[in-house]
Amino acid sequence: MADVRDIMELEHPSQEVTRESIIGSDKQKKRPPPPTKTQKRPEGMHREVFALLYNDSKDVSPLFPSDTGHGYKQTKIKLGMRKPRKWKWMQFTNPARTDGTIFYHWRRPSDEPKEYPFAKFNKKVDVVTYTDAEYQQHLRVDGWSKEETDHMIELAQRFDLRFILMADRYDTEKFPKRSVEDIKDRYYKICGVMSKLKGEKKIYTYDVDHEKRRKEQLKKLYDRTQEQIEEEQFLMLELKKIEARKKERERKTQDLQKLISQADNQTETPKKADKKIPKKKLANPSRPSRVDTTHIFQVVETAGIKFPDYKNSGVSLRSQRMKLPANVGQKKSKGIEQLLQEMGLELNPIPTEEICQHFNELRSDMVLLMEIKSALSTCEYELQSLRHQYEAVNPGRTLTIPPQLLSNLELDNKVGGGEIIDVVGSPSTPTS
Amino acid sequence: MSLPTDFGPDSGGRLKGVCIIKPIVYGNIARYFGKKREEDGHTHQWTVYVKPYNNEDISCYVKKVHFKLHESYANQNRIVVKPPYEISETGWGEFEIVIKIHFHDPNERPVTVYHILKLFPSGGTMDIGMEQGKGLLSESYDEIVFQDPTQLMHHLLTNTKQLTLGRWEHNTNFEEKKEKTLKSITDAKQKVKKEIAVLKNRLKLARETISQFKDEIAKLQDGQFA
Repeated sequence: MADVRDIMELEHPSQEVTRESIIGSDKQKKRPPPPTKTQKRPEGMHREVFALLYNDSKDVSPLFPSDTGHGYKQTKIKLGMRKPRKWKWMQFTNPARTDGTIFYHWRRPSDEPKEYPFAKFNKKVDVVTYTDAEYQQHLRVDGWSKEETDHMIELAQRFDLRFILMADRYDTEKFPKRSVEDIKDRYYKICGVMSKLKGEKKIYTYDVDHEKRRKEQLKKLYDRTQEQIEEEQFLMLELKKIEARKKERERKTQDLQKLISQADNQTETPKKADKKIPKKKLANPSRPSRVDTTHIFQVVETAGIKFPDYKNSGVSLRSQRMKLPANVGQKKSKGIEQLLQEMGLELNPIPTEEICQHFNELRSDMVLLMEIKSALSTCEYELQSLRHQYEAVNPGRTLTIPPQLLSNLELDNKVGGGEIIDVVGSPSTPTS
Repeated sequence: MSLPTDFGPDSGGRLKGVCIIKPIVYGNIARYFGKKREEDGHTHQWTVYVKPYNNEDISCYVKKVHFKLHESYANQNRIVVKPPYEISETGWGEFEIVIKIHFHDPNERPVTVYHILKLFPSGGTMDIGMEQGKGLLSESYDEIVFQDPTQLMHHLLTNTKQLTLGRWEHNTNFEEKKEKTLKSITDAKQKVKKEIAVLKNRLKLARETISQFKDEIAKLQDGQFA
């Protein structure tokens, strides 16, 4: 505790930390739980249903009976004994209307005659107004005459600022045709000027250009033909594929460095490396990785096999130590099997200590070999695609891939025969 | 069997770092009747067995051997408590026999081996020259590894008696097999390692070429935009 405080440069607590201050006084804890309220089962309620309301500790349930003593049986519907009230065809006026037209509807005469209840939904929009003087002083704009502005404001009042309608009913005989955006722009500019005049601080502006672009884009989107839509979807899919491939290739090239260093260990100091590698593998997963965990894990898992140590006390069979660990996938174990068969080896050789050790090391190396092979074919693919890229950028010229790389797979297939090289089912195809 | 009194069955203490290995041989021999037997359709007589590889009496430390036969046999679980640890039966089909070896010290868990009963000649079987090729044998070698045995077990394991005064031989020449297998495996290892080295170099070259190509392309692109 003190160390932490020192590091954090916190003040030492003035009070000593005691057991009580942390745990709290014992007295409170030891107080017996309050006696549980037992509840009576309501009459007529089944015992099983009642039991559901309680848990094991016999706490009172959050439910409370609402009508104890009556049970659940309904006696009889109680019908009202009052006289039915009358409905009457009566007249009313809607205050929303200015002409005072009289309408009729059914109403109870007993209800007090009130204002028509739906009148409150009659809302009127406040449309900006201006005087002639104001217009002459502040609102004159090129392209808009006073008459047209007045016409626009009149329409705004008539249609409660429904700009679509306003644009539709615009007097195009007298005035030029105006789009919704044009009308909006003019209207809100007037609003802005007027509110500035009134001294309001917050002034809203209307971005015509943005709005026009937005509608244009929507229109384009809407006007696409079926072929265009399909082409776009196709292109999106292709893009996704290309990105996935790119990622995969990047991952594999990252793995290469690991593989090479492992191969270095394996070949240069075979005896030491054999013992070292399993240890490394053990250490790696527990350590938080600095780079990308998935890549390291994959390399660690893929390059070689980690056979469990049989250091535990007890009896075991030697042959058990040759079992492939469960984390070795089916693809890999198939590959191993095939390699073994090609080399004329038994799948389960006679289990002596020495054979066990060598056999496990052999199979671990085989996995490494397969990994390197698949890495190589990835490289080859990458080289090919780089070459194509180069050719595309610089037509007429090309890059030469070293022959021993280019012919990697084909050569193997030719020499292959009884040799160990060709692994069917190994992850040698980088894309598919 | 005289045991020192201080090793109770639950004396528990294990001898750390001690490892005792007991090789065993298990398998079966089978003899063809020459025809299908009328009453039950059986064609072969067979014997499945577990025996020590070395000339020693394993009953010192083996308490019992449990053979689990095919469920069609009456009383499919056969338990043998003293040598020879074997079961003889007749039948017409091959199946997997589960052989579980229990030890005298209950603190040591039993081990299980699996043997496919062989009646018909195949790659893994051996003719044992009985009545014009009517007999065959299929057996395997394995090692029981006692890692850190209990004191009791250690005592039992190290105080075994010879089984016979004569030569203790097996039908299969396991020593020769061991040698051959080891050689072929180490050879294969060499081969694989060599190939890893070759491919590793190729991989290096590939990487270098890739970066070289990338540089070339970058140069070109720079030239284009400049």
